[in-house]
Amino acid sequence: MNLKQFYKLLLFIVLIPALSSCFEIVEEINMRNNGTGDVILTINLSQSKTKVASVMLLDSVQGYKVPSKQKIQSELAEAVAYLKKSEGISNVKSSSDFTNYIATISFTFKDVSNINNITKNILAKQKIKATNTSSYSFNKATKIFSRKYQPIANAKSEFNKLKNQDKAVFNGAMYTSIYRFETPVTNVSNPASNVSKSKKAVMLKSNIMNLINGKVNVSNQIQLLK
Amino acid sequence: MTGCSPLKNKLIQMKKLLVALSFLFLTSLTYAQDLVKKIPANAFTVATIKGDNVFKLMFVKDFNESFVGKKILTETSKSLDKNFTSVEDFGINLEKNMYYFNQLSDSITYNCFLIPLKDASRFENLITDKEKKIKIDGEIRTMILPDSMSIIKWNNNMMYFVTGSINSSFFADSLKSARYGIKDVRYQTEISLADSTMTATDSTYVTTDEPMVEEVIAPPVVKAKVQKKTGKKSTVKNKSGKRKKGVKSKKIPKKVKHNEYDSAEYTVTDSVGMASLPSTAGDDQYDQYQQEQTEQEAKKKQLALEWITVQANQIFNSNYESIESNKSYAASLDKNAIAEVWVSSLQDVYNSLSPAFRSYGRAGVMKGYGSLTAKLFMDNKSFRISTGLELAKEQADSYKKIMNRKLNKKFLKYVDSEKAIGFMGYAIDTKAYLEELPKLMQQTYGSFLGINKMDEEIALGSELFSLLLDEEAVSKVVKGDALFIINGLNSRDVSYTTYDYDEDYNQTEVTKTKKETLPDFLFMFSSEDQRLMNKLIKYGINKNKVSVSNNIYKIEEKKSPIDIYFMIKDGIVFFGNSLTEMQSISDNSFHTSISKMHKTLLSKNNFSFLFNAKNLVGKVPDQEFGGEETAKKFNETLGKMGNVYMKSNPIKGNLVSADISAEIPNGHENALKYLFTLIENAAK
Repeated sequence: MNLKQFYKLLLFIVLIPALSSCFEIVEEINMRNNGTGDVILTINLSQSKTKVASVMLLDSVQGYKVPSKQKIQSELAEAVAYLKKSEGISNVKSSSDFTNYIATISFTFKDVSNINNITKNILAKQKIKATNTSSYSFNKATKIFSRKYQPIANAKSEFNKLKNQDKAVFNGAMYTSIYRFETPVTNVSNPASNVSKSKKAVMLKSNIMNLINGKVNVSNQIQLLK
Repeated sequence: MTGCSPLKNKLIQMKKLLVALSFLFLTSLTYAQDLVKKIPANAFTVATIKGDNVFKLMFVKDFNESFVGKKILTETSKSLDKNFTSVEDFGINLEKNMYYFNQLSDSITYNCFLIPLKDASRFENLITDKEKKIKIDGEIRTMILPDSMSIIKWNNNMMYFVTGSINSSFFADSLKSARYGIKDVRYQTEISLADSTMTATDSTYVTTDEPMVEEVIAPPVVKAKVQKKTGKKSTVKNKSGKRKKGVKSKKIPKKVKHNEYDSAEYTVTDSVGMASLPSTAGDDQYDQYQQEQTEQEAKKKQLALEWITVQANQIFNSNYESIESNKSYAASLDKNAIAEVWVSSLQDVYNSLSPAFRSYGRAGVMKGYGSLTAKLFMDNKSFRISTGLELAKEQADSYKKIMNRKLNKKFLKYVDSEKAIGFMGYAIDTKAYLEELPKLMQQTYGSFLGINKMDEEIALGSELFSLLLDEEAVSKVVKGDALFIINGLNSRDVSYTTYDYDEDYNQTEVTKTKKETLPDFLFMFSSEDQRLMNKLIKYGINKNKVSVSNNIYKIEEKKSPIDIYFMIKDGIVFFGNSLTEMQSISDNSFHTSISKMHKTLLSKNNFSFLFNAKNLVGKVPDQEFGGEETAKKFNETLGKMGNVYMKSNPIKGNLVSADISAEIPNGHENALKYLFTLIENAAK
């Protein structure tokens, strides 16, 4: 056994038994009155960085291949390249921090509906089956911003097929969405969402497990002051 | 050939006499003859379940009332539409040994079970439609199973089950298979035509060659019967003269039909096969090919059944040398074991089967390896599996030299038995290892690469290896003993990045800390000559890969998720991830509390491993498991586990052996009963 193998084995013994990890996904949309806006997507694995760092040293874990840093970076670059070509999308930027394990993608859109197909296509490209149907719209006339989210019926059953130890990965995971506007919000349809003090932002926080189980729905219809 | 029938009759008469005699004795003897006497000396594997030892740990009554027992009884009752209340209702003699063995040959493998019977009539009750299925011949009753590849045969004392599987490679050899009138069918008309002429010549082989083949495959009594059969076969063939018709395919089923095969099912299948023949014998090549293949397969099956029948008859009707005469087998027995497995000399088996292997130059891969044994023990404290492997003398001597080292006694100071979750220690003599390695390599790989092919090169390489390495010097740097130990879990603060939101949900990045629990590991090895280590450390410091404070070095590796420290003290090199532990070693304040059991395990054996799950209970925060529920389950399981440990035993004679033990938790009478509770819990 050479030193590297020994080291890997050591990490395996020391760190792997409990793979449950905390990570957060943050989705921010800053809407302007003219219908344009910015999106910032963040995946933050920093709370699990010890585990992620160890996993990254392994070739595969629980039967899944662990992507290398290069692989992750190239996938991110691919996503950026794809976004740049997409209709109505500009100012695409991405960042990745391999010390704290945080990755972000941000871009500007002409119309919020430009986003609708992007996520789906990116996921399809990565050969990940999209587990939800999600769409955004903003009506300049009625001043209604709406997010429609329809969890796909089989998402839950598919998830239940996973091994327990794989499910555990999602245990501590959080999802946060923040929509910011230039005009104050008068009404929100989703009771789980909160309106900020200035009335110009709406936030929804949920455990990812609840999203998968369908306990929380992120659909929301936000009425802005006319 | 003809002389064999009277012989058989004589045997039957003798057997009847024997049975009568033995009945007389049996009534007065508590122990009937052990079935091991029925296992032929050339068995490759023998497995034993020792009924008396098993039911010493658990009375039959307890077994019947256990979850497993009930399950077995209700399931069998249901499927046979009868009412069984005890395993004794199956007619098996539970106080005696049950055996499994197998016999290998180049053409067929027999898998056999020998089960002692107490009450044959009860056993027969398990068979539905027995009048149709069972063939009675005096004391002996026979039943051919529907697959026509297995036979059950029993008398009042024992039940014998044998199933055979044909080696396809044997029949792929056209010369060999032709002896049995079987041909290798290929999807091509011309060739198959040519083949049919070949079979014509081959059929003569059947008579002449069979006895020779039998020498390899079947035992003496077998010979008699098969010879008789082949005689018949050839007469049939000559009489019927099917070949003349040119439709080769028709010949086979006829032949099969003439064979007096006593199984009803068998004849049925065959006649079906025949009935379908004429319709398919058209122009369609593929159909014909398929049909021929089916025929050939049927022939092979038929042949296998013949062999199996003969083999089974031999077990009942003849005297032969039993496995008891095998020294290695006899030596492997342990009267306290619950179950045993013995695999005969790997080398011998390899050699006996090797014509096929030799052509690939692989003869001798198993050189130096003798028989393999595994024994299972259960008592009121633990489960134990003991395994052993016989080596050739040369090899054993090499290993004896290598294993001539004990673990550094100073290591034991650093074991804290009250907290230790696990450890692994090993001790070999590096110098001896390096000296013996070329020899061992040559033994294994020299022959692997083929006779006279690479021997010289390997010998040369071995020499070169010795020349380049100064074994003595290397052994001073790394003496060959090492200990890896996890002395407990420790939580530490870890910082991470997350987000805070103000009243207007504007995001700010913040750094927070959380507790993370990590095991403290400590790895140590002995080193007399530290000059190389010191040079390496110096190099590391110069290159900023290593930092030092109070003689404790830290590896500066950003990618590593854990800090690793090392130090050299009293001729021991230490590695670990806990600075406090390192410091306590450095200033001699390490809390030593090794238990007697841990001490013996580590110091007496060349290799040892221990896992103490109990010390893990409640030490890992729930969130690390991803929830309270999982954590609870996990802790419960761990709390129920006793020590699990493994150790190598000293080499005795030419036998290397190792033991794995698992202690059972308190509150359980013995390991077997504990096992039953485990099964019950798992099934719930």
